Amino acid sequence: MTLQRTAPPRPSWRDRVRDPGWGLIFVLPMLVLFVIFRFVPSLGALGMSFTDYRLSGDFSFVGAENYRRLIEDDLFFDSLRVTLLYALMYVPLTLVVSLGTATMLHHVVRGRGLFRGLLFLPYVTSFVMAGIIWIWIYDSNGLANGLLERVGLGPVPFLTGNQAMVLGSLAIVSVWKSFGYSMLILLAGLKNIPEDVIEAATLDGAGAWAKFRRITLPLLRPVIFFVLVIETIVAFQVFDTIYVMTGGGPARASYGLVYMLYDQGFKFFDFGYAATIGVMLFLVVLVISLVQRYVLDRENT
Amino acid sequence: MTTLTAPPAPAATSPAGTGRRRRRRSGANLWLTVLLILASVFTVVPFVAVIVLAVTPEGAQTIPQRLPDEVTLDNLSAVLSASSFLRWTLNSFIYSIVSVVVILLTAAMAGYAFARKRFPGSNALMWSFLATLMVPAQATLIPMFVLVSRMEGVNTFWGLIVPTLANSQAVFLMRQFIKGLPDDLFDAAKIDGAGEWTVFWRLVLPLTKPVLATLGIFVFLWHWNDFLWPLVVAQTDDMRTLTVGLSTLNAETIARARIMASAAISVIPCLVIFGVLQRYLVNSIATTGLKG
Repeated sequence: MTLQRTAPPRPSWRDRVRDPGWGLIFVLPMLVLFVIFRFVPSLGALGMSFTDYRLSGDFSFVGAENYRRLIEDDLFFDSLRVTLLYALMYVPLTLVVSLGTATMLHHVVRGRGLFRGLLFLPYVTSFVMAGIIWIWIYDSNGLANGLLERVGLGPVPFLTGNQAMVLGSLAIVSVWKSFGYSMLILLAGLKNIPEDVIEAATLDGAGAWAKFRRITLPLLRPVIFFVLVIETIVAFQVFDTIYVMTGGGPARASYGLVYMLYDQGFKFFDFGYAATIGVMLFLVVLVISLVQRYVLDRENT
Repeated sequence: MTTLTAPPAPAATSPAGTGRRRRRRSGANLWLTVLLILASVFTVVPFVAVIVLAVTPEGAQTIPQRLPDEVTLDNLSAVLSASSFLRWTLNSFIYSIVSVVVILLTAAMAGYAFARKRFPGSNALMWSFLATLMVPAQATLIPMFVLVSRMEGVNTFWGLIVPTLANSQAVFLMRQFIKGLPDDLFDAAKIDGAGEWTVFWRLVLPLTKPVLATLGIFVFLWHWNDFLWPLVVAQTDDMRTLTVGLSTLNAETIARARIMASAAISVIPCLVIFGVLQRYLVNSIATTGLKG
């Protein structure tokens, strides 16, 4: 690294005067991108929700008509219920699987790196890829039913059964694809627990389960909470697997919130209405984040 | 290899209590290993299944009933010789690599400005960047699409790429890292009379190499695996990315072996990244919390 020594040192006051300009110059490219593709669309979503914007680009202001329509739309409440049900399956399952695997990785003596890698593997694929594989696994001639057949159980209609069955099947695919992230976050949390605390409990004769429940879990609480919030937000944004695996079906059993947004926008080209659903999605995520803030603030005081 | 147990400790030199504890521990460890093997089977078997299905001749008996009698590369070569598959792959590479290059450069510049420069409104600006994290991409999908289509960006590369470049996680990560660099380096460069661009190119970029590499991997994975935005903005076959293309294959009545062969090929770049950079990727999630 050779820096040019030709120019004489400039007085520092000139630098300070020049700094404002340079700061703006360096931030400018990202600023332009943010203004056009983040700030404008965010306000645009709100603005569009008060119009009947159509594909042609024609629109007129309709006041709160979209919101009135939304709260009278059974489809919307069904999609909200579908998403909530899905989240209620996906979030606890992710937490159990990632906490379980993180704890095992933390304690295993040999092959930790190998196991960590193998468990993390699905995280680098896409939900589309995951969906394509799992369609086959769930197929009546697929892996899951093939294994069930061995133990004498009939074919299970994973993706064509009732709502709980379909949403549970979709939740498992998402857990498979993405629990590796939460696992690594929790593993880092486990590593931060001071060893002498655990040692002290061991000397006091505490068993493995008691140590986990009374020491590890309480000390890990902030990390667990972080994982819960992140994964809940992710659950409310579920789309890719639904699109690839069920198309919202059967009979709208997996017609989630984002799927409804896509459907209204790009099947019916009802952009004003779809934007309104987007505003609702934002509100849901906002509430989750506010709850997070509230709980964290209460814990810190 | 992983099931090898530790050589037993010489009993004579260790007190009975320790010996018992060690034996209990190695018993627990065996259970841990067994459970971890089961969990790994859960994560790895679907990948193995894709590969087996991809090399099964069309219509032949295969898993889960039995392993195929013979393997064939016909499915793979059929996929590779279908012109649209290669086109989708190329599009995915363009989408991912252009995004990586531009995001790394613009985020490093913005991060440097936020970390080392004072300018009017710099704090408010940083916070407004971060605030956009609260708005899910799906919530702004419709206005984004309207905006891009009004700018005639539908079915163009710029329409696909440029709207995804405003990345607050990237800016924030760069800012944190550059803030942590020692002040002396920047003072020394100033005293040497280095201009602003020289400082950025010769000092900031080389010093942030590790974090740029981490960010680069994540941005690549995000874009390679991205689905909803390419789905709405790339509507013609020749503009589709791999994820969108795969989803259309899946909707058509194409032989399963062919679909699986496409899926197997599409995941290769990610597996290569994973194979080469696994340790790195895994550590950086723990330290930065970057989320795909």
